[in-house]
Amino acid sequence: MEISQNLSLLHLILQASIPVKMVMGLLLLASLMSWWYIFLKMFALKRAAENTDSFEKEFWAGADVNLLFQRVSQNREAAGELERIFEAGFSEFLKLRRQAGASVNVIMDGARRAMRAAFQREMDGLESHLSFLATVGSVSPYVGLFGTVWGIMLAFQSLASVAQATLAQVAPGIAEALIATAMGLFAAIPAVVAYNRYTYDVDRLSSRMETFMEEFSNILQRQATKPAA
Amino acid sequence: MSRVQSRDGVTAGFLAAAVHGFFVLLLVLGVSWQIHDPQPVMADIWQSLPSPARPAPEPGPLPRPVPPPQAKPEPAPDNKAAEIALEKKRKIEAEQLKRKQALEAEKKRLEEAKRQELAEAKRRDELRRQEEELLRQSMEQSLAAESSQIKARAAAARHASEIDKLVARYQDMISAKIRGNTRLPDNLPGNPQVEFKLKVLPSGEIAKITLTKSSGIAAFDQAVLRGIERSSPLPLPEDRAAAERFRDLDIKHKARE
Repeated sequence: MEISQNLSLLHLILQASIPVKMVMGLLLLASLMSWWYIFLKMFALKRAAENTDSFEKEFWAGADVNLLFQRVSQNREAAGELERIFEAGFSEFLKLRRQAGASVNVIMDGARRAMRAAFQREMDGLESHLSFLATVGSVSPYVGLFGTVWGIMLAFQSLASVAQATLAQVAPGIAEALIATAMGLFAAIPAVVAYNRYTYDVDRLSSRMETFMEEFSNILQRQATKPAA
Repeated sequence: MSRVQSRDGVTAGFLAAAVHGFFVLLLVLGVSWQIHDPQPVMADIWQSLPSPARPAPEPGPLPRPVPPPQAKPEPAPDNKAAEIALEKKRKIEAEQLKRKQALEAEKKRLEEAKRQELAEAKRRDELRRQEEELLRQSMEQSLAAESSQIKARAAAARHASEIDKLVARYQDMISAKIRGNTRLPDNLPGNPQVEFKLKVLPSGEIAKITLTKSSGIAAFDQAVLRGIERSSPLPLPEDRAAAERFRDLDIKHKARE
């Protein structure tokens, strides 16, 4: 009646039953993916915030709008989100103004629409993968719990065939099962924290962009009502 | 932009792997997983179990075979004396008979001696023949007795080996029972060993437990003591002779083997 109590981590994982192993594998994958996205988003949002800061600074410092437009349109690859919105709006504004007989309202509506479209595209890029983090954060504890319940069920089942039940006979099974919950929580907690943090960051960026759009619209309207360009 | 993103992706991938590696490292090193568990594997060894039992079965058969060899040589000289010296005097015969009687306590011997006495009374009529006959008879009888005793001894030996087996089986049963009832304290240092002496009633109940050699760890001694107490009544063999051996039980209990 030798009860092996080798509780090393690897041993426990290898001893687990197939469903528990599958749950652990799934959770490991989810955890890896969510961390990958966490870092990916961290870089992307950080860069977006920096680009927005530098562009706003440059823009409101009184740089020439035409020069800015030229620089951005020549180098679209390196441009930030706000620059691309600016570029889309201004290029549409220029195109419409070149057309003879376009009223100020038409020009302004066109430029706004172009900026709105660019804004949506940029928001879509910024918000991508955030739903994955939300899913991992809300589901992986349940998946881990499922693995644990399954493992504990098996542990107690094996206990039924033993005449003298001791804690030592169930303990390894339960410990092994609880690893699944631990992994679920390990995947979920950073995902939830990152999701909340990144949605806040994206909200702030979007409000900054919208403010810029409104202000830039005013500048464009002023230019459009000017008698001649 | 896409180049930047792909570079980001690789960096993020490495960082994610690093986070997991760090977490696993933390789990492996930080949490003291019990790799060598002190608790469950234990062995009880009985030391010098049947102190009175070993001699007990053997004295039975042994003393009996001893007298016949002594008896055997005696008739022989007697016989020779009777053959060579035809007529011996009464005193010598009587002395020899007395010696025989003193040596042999058995009934057969006594009867034989009586008969010999009768023969002596009739000695004047037909001395030698009768004596020869009697002596021959006595020799045969003693030989027969001897062979039957050898048989008895063999049977006893067989019985003893069976008892040994029975005892060994019940030793295992008792050790298993005590092992099952003993809850060892956690974090036992080393492999302590404690020894107890038990007085066991015929019913299997433990009458008295004496600590003969402490392990030096009071908690361990107590745990084993409680385990033994919980194991009362002990399983005892039905066989009376085998059960007898469990009257005084020495128990050695090791935390681990």
